[in-house]
Amino acid sequence: MDRYKFEDSISSYLENEMNLKERQEFENYMDENPEAKSLLENVRNNIHLIKEMSQVNTSPDFINKLFNRIEYEKNRPLKKIIEKPSNTFFGFSPLYASLMSVLVVSFVSIGLTMWSDNIPSTISLPELKGSIVDSSPGSPSNINLMNNQDLVATNVDSSIDSTINKSKNLNLDGKVKFVKNKR
Amino acid sequence: MMNQLLQNSYFQQLKMDSHLKYTDEDLIERFQNGDEQAYVELVNRYRDRLMNFVYRFTNDSEQSEDIVQDTLIKLYTHKHYYKKIAKFSTWIYTIAANYAKTELRKKKNRKTTNLSQMSSEEKDYDLPAVQPDTDKAIENEYLEKRIQAAINTLPLHFKTVIILRDIQELSYDEISNIAEVPLGTVKSRINRARIQLQKELKDIKKEKNY
Repeated sequence: MDRYKFEDSISSYLENEMNLKERQEFENYMDENPEAKSLLENVRNNIHLIKEMSQVNTSPDFINKLFNRIEYEKNRPLKKIIEKPSNTFFGFSPLYASLMSVLVVSFVSIGLTMWSDNIPSTISLPELKGSIVDSSPGSPSNINLMNNQDLVATNVDSSIDSTINKSKNLNLDGKVKFVKNKR
Repeated sequence: MMNQLLQNSYFQQLKMDSHLKYTDEDLIERFQNGDEQAYVELVNRYRDRLMNFVYRFTNDSEQSEDIVQDTLIKLYTHKHYYKKIAKFSTWIYTIAANYAKTELRKKKNRKTTNLSQMSSEEKDYDLPAVQPDTDKAIENEYLEKRIQAAINTLPLHFKTVIILRDIQELSYDEISNIAEVPLGTVKSRINRARIQLQKELKDIKKEKNY
């Protein structure tokens, strides 16, 4: 046993929570270390002093005060909700109503703008003129190409480069030349 | 209703005698079923115990009494929150301890603010200037103030367990429930609190000539 273990075990010793072996070890340490024994005695005396402290009681009018407070708690009126119907719009105050309106209008206009931006990309595919072809599967432009009956027909033979097939069906105005077209 | 019971002290005494056979748990059950006299009996059983407990936290009689009142009012208004799975004493001590801790934290914050506003000379404050005397009463008063001052130096989690164990003499299990920490932690905290108190009070042995 060392000093730390001894200090950790003081309360267990004082409250008889040690087994015989632990108790023997604890007492042997005390016999070898007089300052440890002194520490134990001090702790024991302090516990005794604390237990001996005088009892602090409530004042004589404690019960009266308590029951008065209970009566008050029992009879306390509930908080009334004050309504102001004249100055509200659909339940909102003018400030919040105007803020809400601005928000709704902004949301609708932004939504319309975003929607209208998306429409040309779906129907103007031929105008891409083959310059950029997104070949990744499942991309929106690919789906549109697949919807085109001509392109679907050319895609039957998967061994043929689909890019070239698409170029044949696009109006490129001779501005774009594919490498394989040179043959 | 409550005032009527209070004013009729003879009736109250009679009823209290009949309640002596009831446990705390029986009384709270009766109170939950509408017997307000059971509440009066619980108040009479616990007001001084709670006062002594809370006073060791706050070291202020007036504030302690307010906290005990708040605790007993909560017992009245929240009586159905008590479930019979726990001892009534554990439940009521938990309420009081929580109120006391809250007040102590508020007090500590106020004290920190006030100290920071004081000059360095004003910050020198000592223990109460009561000197040991041959008179036994004065000596005891001095001793108690020393012990209380030593308890006040403990951190809140040490203070809670040491008050519950060495002053209120509750079991480790009850303390574990009130402090809401495992049993091992309770034992460890009590031990460390006792050692810390010993450091604070080591000169008392010389004064008392143990």
